[in-house]
Amino acid sequence: MESLPPVDVLGQVVAQRAAVARRLASVRHVVAIASGKGGVGKSLLTANLAAALGTEAAKVGVLDADIHGPSAALMLGARGQRPQFGPEGARPAIGVGDVRVMSMDLFLKDDGTAVRWRHYGGLAEDSFVWRGTLEANVLREFLADTEWGELDYLLIDMPPGADRFETLLRLLPELRGAVMITTPSEASMLVVRRASVGAKQAGARLLGLVENMAETAESGRVRELADAVGIPILASVPFDPKLAQSTENGRPGVLINPETPAARAILELADRLRGMLA
Amino acid sequence: MKFRCEECQETMEFVSNDTDRASGVMAIRYSCPNCGRRISMVTNPGETQLVSSLGVTIGHETLSEGEAGPMDQIRRSLEGETGWIDDRGLPDPVWTEAAEKRLAAAPAFVQGMVRRLYTDWARRNGYPEVSPAVMSKARDALGMSEM
Ligand SMILES: Nc1ncnc2c1ncn2[C@@H]1O[C@H](COP(=O)(O)OP(=O)(O)OP(=O)(O)O)[C@@H](O)[C@H]1O
Ligand SMILES: [Mg+2]
Repeated sequence: MESLPPVDVLGQVVAQRAAVARRLASVRHVVAIASGKGGVGKSLLTANLAAALGTEAAKVGVLDADIHGPSAALMLGARGQRPQFGPEGARPAIGVGDVRVMSMDLFLKDDGTAVRWRHYGGLAEDSFVWRGTLEANVLREFLADTEWGELDYLLIDMPPGADRFETLLRLLPELRGAVMITTPSEASMLVVRRASVGAKQAGARLLGLVENMAETAESGRVRELADAVGIPILASVPFDPKLAQSTENGRPGVLINPETPAARAILELADRLRGMLA
Repeated sequence: MKFRCEECQETMEFVSNDTDRASGVMAIRYSCPNCGRRISMVTNPGETQLVSSLGVTIGHETLSEGEAGPMDQIRRSLEGETGWIDDRGLPDPVWTEAAEKRLAAAPAFVQGMVRRLYTDWARRNGYPEVSPAVMSKARDALGMSEM
C-alpha cells in the first residue's frame, strides 16, 4: 500500500539545496547586485546591466531578491505576467531584451496587495521566529523552481540590508560574485563599507564597487572606500533623471539612449564584467 | 525524524494527516505495522508554522493542499486567496483507464486521498492526464513508495 518514508527533515533541507545546484548548473555566471544601503540604484543598475549584457546575444535572467519591495519586473517591462507552471518548474516572465525575470511581483494580485504571510492559528506576534526561514525559502524557490533554462548571466537584485546576502551565499556557494553599489553620500559609503566587509567575511567574492548617482567624474571618497575594502571601482554612473524615467517605465535607459554618459558608463560596466567573468 | 514502536522495534507507518488549517493544529497519525498500536504527533500553531517555514513535508501533504509543485512554499504561505496564481484555465487532469486500475488496487480507505494527491500534482505540473507514467513521476517527486 501507499506508505511514507520516515520524516527526514534535514535530508529534505539538503535535497532542497541540491535542487538549487541542479537548476543553476545551466547558468554560467551568477552575480549579485548588492549594497547594504537602500535606494542607491541597485534595481535600476540591475535592469540596465541585464539589458546591456543581453545586447551581445547573451541569455540573461534577473532574480528579484527584494521580496517586500520588488521592482525588477517594473524596470524590465515584465509586469502583469504570471508565472506559468509546467513540469520543469515555473516559467519566468519575459522582459525587455528577452531578459527572464522572477519576482514576487508576479505573485501579487494587484498594486494594492502587499506581501503578507499566513499565520496558522492567528499567531502573528510570533512571526519573528519563522519569518527569516520562510523568506530564505522563498529565495530558494526563486532559484530552484524557476525554469531559467540556459543562461549566460543571472543577476540578483538584492534588497537593502546586509543580512539577505548571507542567506544567498548559503543557498548558492557557487555565487560568482557581487557588485557593490554606493552613492557618494557619507551615509551610503559608511553602510556599504560595513556591508562589504561583512560580505567578504561571509566568503563572498566582491567583484568591485560602482558609484551611482555620481556628481562629478569620480569622488575621492569613493576611491578611499574602494581601497579600504580592497576592491576595484568598476564604474561611475552619473545622476541622470532621464535614464531613471525610462527605466521606471519598463525601458532600461541603456537601450533607449545608449549615447548618454550614464548609459555609456553602464555599457562599459557590462563590458568589464563580461571580461572579469570570462 | 521518525517514530518507532519500542516493543516491536518497527518504524511506525503514516496513517493520516488531520491538520486543521484554520486553527493551525497539525495532527499526524502513525501506526505500528506489527502490533497496530497507534500514535499521533500533534503540534501547536507556532510549531506548525515553524515546520511550514522550513518547506519540508511531514506526513503526506502537511500544510499544502496538493503536493509540492514549483513555488509551493510561496503559494501556500501567502495570505489571502492565491488560487488565481494557479488559474490558467486548465481543466482537472483526466485519469486514464490504466491509472484508474492502479488506483483501484490501493486499499479503499486511502483511494480518495491518493486520487487527490495525484490529481493535484499532475495539475500543478502541467500534465493534462494522470497515467501510470505520470503516477510514477509523481511518486518519485513526492518520495512515496510503490502502491
Ligand atoms: N543614476 C541615476 N540617476 C538618476 N536616478 C537614479 C539613478 N540610479 C537610480 N536612480 C533612481 O533612484 C531611485 C532608487 O533606485 P533603485 O530603486 O534602483 O534603488 P535600490 O537600491 O534598488 O533601492 P532599494 O534599496 O529600495 O531596493 C529610483 O527612482 C531610480 O530610478
Ligand atoms: Mg531595489
